[in-house]
Amino acid sequence: MKRTLTVCPYCGTGCMFYLVSDSGRLIGVEPSTTHPVSRGGLCVKGWNAFGFVHHPDRLTTPLIRRDGKLHPASWDEALGLVAERLREIQERHGADSLMFASSAKATNEENYLLMKLARGVFGTNNIDHCARLCHSSTVTGLAETFGSGAMTNSIDCFDNTDLILIIGSNTTEQHPLIGSRILKAARRGTKLIVADNRLIRLARHADLHLRHNNGSDVALLNAMMQVIIAEGLEDREFIAARCENFEAFAASIADWTPERAAPLTGLQPGEIVAAARLFAGAKRAMIVYSMGITQHSHGVDNVRCCAALAMLTGNVGRPGTGVNPLRGQNNVQGGCDMGALPDVFSGYQKVSDPMVREKFTRAWGVDALPSTPGLPLTRAMDAAAEGKLHGMFFMGENPILSDPDQGHARHALKNLDFLVVQDIFLTETAALADVVLPAACYAEKEGTFTNTERRIQRVRKGVEPPGEAKADWEIICALAKQAGCDKMHYPDPSAVMDEIASVTPIYGGISYDRLDPLGLQWPCPDRDHPGTPILHIGRFNRGKGRFSPVIYRSPAELPDEEFPFVLTTGRTYFHWHTGTMTRRTHLLDREERRSFIEINPDDAARLGVRERDDVLIASRRGSVRAQARITGIVIPGVVFMPFHFTEGAANALTNNVLDPESSIPEFKVCAVQVRKAP
Amino acid sequence: MKYLSNEQIPDFFSSLQATHEVRLPIMLPDGTRCLGHPGDGTVALFGGALPAKPTAAFFPHEGPVFVAASEGFTEPSAPEKPLLVVGFTSRDLACLRFIDRFFAEGWRDDIYFRNRQGALVVGVSGYCGPGGASLALADGDCDFELVWDRTRWLVVSHTGAGSAIVEGLAETVSDGTLERLRKEMAVYEDENEKAIRRASELIRADRVPDTFWSEIGDRCIACTGCNLACPTCTCFGVQDWRYAGRVKRSRMWDSCQLDGFMREASGHNPLGTEGLRTRRRIHHKLAADPDRWGEISCFVCGRCDAVCPTGIGIFAVARELIERFGNI
Ligand code: SF4
Ligand code: SF4
Ligand code: SF4
Repeated sequence: MKRTLTVCPYCGTGCMFYLVSDSGRLIGVEPSTTHPVSRGGLCVKGWNAFGFVHHPDRLTTPLIRRDGKLHPASWDEALGLVAERLREIQERHGADSLMFASSAKATNEENYLLMKLARGVFGTNNIDHCARLCHSSTVTGLAETFGSGAMTNSIDCFDNTDLILIIGSNTTEQHPLIGSRILKAARRGTKLIVADNRLIRLARHADLHLRHNNGSDVALLNAMMQVIIAEGLEDREFIAARCENFEAFAASIADWTPERAAPLTGLQPGEIVAAARLFAGAKRAMIVYSMGITQHSHGVDNVRCCAALAMLTGNVGRPGTGVNPLRGQNNVQGGCDMGALPDVFSGYQKVSDPMVREKFTRAWGVDALPSTPGLPLTRAMDAAAEGKLHGMFFMGENPILSDPDQGHARHALKNLDFLVVQDIFLTETAALADVVLPAACYAEKEGTFTNTERRIQRVRKGVEPPGEAKADWEIICALAKQAGCDKMHYPDPSAVMDEIASVTPIYGGISYDRLDPLGLQWPCPDRDHPGTPILHIGRFNRGKGRFSPVIYRSPAELPDEEFPFVLTTGRTYFHWHTGTMTRRTHLLDREERRSFIEINPDDAARLGVRERDDVLIASRRGSVRAQARITGIVIPGVVFMPFHFTEGAANALTNNVLDPESSIPEFKVCAVQVRKAP
Repeated sequence: MKYLSNEQIPDFFSSLQATHEVRLPIMLPDGTRCLGHPGDGTVALFGGALPAKPTAAFFPHEGPVFVAASEGFTEPSAPEKPLLVVGFTSRDLACLRFIDRFFAEGWRDDIYFRNRQGALVVGVSGYCGPGGASLALADGDCDFELVWDRTRWLVVSHTGAGSAIVEGLAETVSDGTLERLRKEMAVYEDENEKAIRRASELIRADRVPDTFWSEIGDRCIACTGCNLACPTCTCFGVQDWRYAGRVKRSRMWDSCQLDGFMREASGHNPLGTEGLRTRRRIHHKLAADPDRWGEISCFVCGRCDAVCPTGIGIFAVARELIERFGNI
């Protein structure tokens, strides 16, 4: 019997638990009772996080495609081929004809190393990861307004606040151990405003539930702020002392009366006024948001509005306040921190800044580093589809199920000269690859993850990887060597973290010996620094907080006669993203076995659809089959569908239209038709 | 009577490893206590009930059932040495007695008894609860019991196997300490236990409307922790994994708080709402089991309240229920 303290591999809440193993096999999970986030509990995914690890489908050897089929190969052969083909493409078409996709599931060290491989070894800034699909709007929007694109406060703040506005986050399902804190806070008298047209669990406990139309967040938030200013409820002292551009901003929303917003949002003007007064009246108010805000063609604008609402009411830089984007993946915060993004090195240091490039050139011992920002993942898929990109390397991502417009994604990947996928299972994407590299999963390696409240925590090895599978960091270093770089060897991930700390000011004080037992919250600039639970105290990271006026834009594709429903997509509580792990976990798979849509009883009656009937859902891009779940959770005219299921893939329907600034796709709104399946 | 000083505990249990597979409470690096081998960490007998149920030593979260291959069919073998598990409180021991009984009745659960048969169970009691609080004496239900009298562990054996193990220990004079402790522990009235009994009465008298269960169910995030932590929850699911040339069946803890637990093949679910599932969880322990087994099957160990992220463990529910329906 052995117990290994590690971090949950699912959501960004960052619960810690012990993996229990016996004779090299995992036999269960026990929560940590002292952990500040999980406090002795876990959600259903955490309790079952050991369940897929020894699954018979695990990849155990490298695979190389020959005559159209994947065949087992040795590591030398596989990595040799990858290095050779990537170099060949680099020479023939230029470094920027390669794209590297890192992973929010992998550790900080692995994200850093893949970023170093892309930039330092292959000379391209074409590196990104799935943060593009979830919180790129946050990174852009909050960096502009506050100077830092991360959750401003800590999870502990939910215990001591007067009001929580939850907008576009189904917290009890997607960040369950944060959702449970919010539920407990509500029982103690903290006011809740839920702005989401689905009747999510938190809405059942809310003081005010605003069921505004999908994609009308800017209208709602602008109108709330208009009321606050019109009624003199704003925090003038805070605005004067700590913010800039307020006059222009106030002028920009002066005509956003609740009456103007009402038809766009589908709300009564009175509801908007009530929300504004309730929010402005709280001494300490927290804004919590997630994909409902970010995954829009105007995602950055949504984020700007959230930031403005917090500044307008003085709710930044104190306990129990702040703008709190909940990061989805276990390490999506870390993936961004590590510079697995096309425009920045680790710690958000810009590639376009010559001083920064100079620093990394010296630290890495390379001649030069590329200076123009690379392609965001979503744009890279477009480039591949157009034949402008020739080679792609995916570490732990499954774009065939996770990217918008599946037909487009499939075409893009098939169009490549060379595709490498490094993963733990043969995903839908790996099945298309020229070379597949078998990786260790979270339970089989050392490293760190950074949770949504910027807490860097230790991931530990409980059991050996299956067969010849290796940790991602080992594979990346071995590939660097094959590609002729002799500067990427490390005895272990802690040495990688030491390098990260030396070049990344916000991680400057991080080292493994300081991370036990509770981790550290960045910014943590030096070894004596205790970490930073709350950002922007006394001063915004960018100096003054900036009010950014926003012009309302409607979603790109609205329902019409032919496609009369709004489709909004997301996750369920029991599955994780493309289901690679959760659909191979017995209890989780049993809970949700197939693709479904939620449809309102009125709509279902009109269409002659009964509970659990199969329906066909079609958009301009594709058509899929799923089971109908008839429920008042959704309002008439809106259907909700999770994207986990390959056999009823929501992303065969979604619209690959991108936010112009963050390149995030509009997963949350597209137009579909629904009919009973024959 | 026998005794052990606190300093002697690690060596005493280490020495038993020659004949037994020993598990005892140890302290993990982050301060979490768990059952481990002597030597895996500092022995941690103090602090009350372990956060994870000690019955997991006999019935783990996941465990093998059989492997079927073309060459034949293999079942897991019993442990090489019998288990010796230390750290059951009197409440845990009552839970163990309860599950021993129904695992043995009807179809005897041979996988459970493979570990349980011949195992030695060691209780802890006396002033070794959280912060030195008192833990009631078990006075049975185990092979021997360690009773902390604030200076030493009195070793009280309850079975022949227990006596045999502790035979070689030093004798202390029978100075009445044990009787004194028994009396001292008896005066503590357990408010939680009272609440559980009262809640059971109210439920069985049909005083609790369904709306109450829906309200509580609204606060359940279906984490399954209450079931997984509960020593008398023993429902399990079965999983078959297909490898080249063989199929491996294992079973893992299940939870009645999940929709799939009761869902029919048609998709219909007689326990299809959170309210109904929450009602079932509490009803089973406080109403159904008393009918079937003659006793409430919540033995007030406190784990479900500790593990529930939203604060609706059985004590919390019982208290709310009594407050609302106790005086009508
Ligand atoms: S809340 Fe998130 S981190 Fe915690 S156990 Fe659940 S999935 Fe894991
Ligand atoms: S207190 Fe909770 S966990 Fe303990 S026996 Fe009762 S129901 Fe089970
Ligand atoms: S522990 Fe609490 S939240 Fe989790 S399933 Fe049980 S009652 Fe529900």
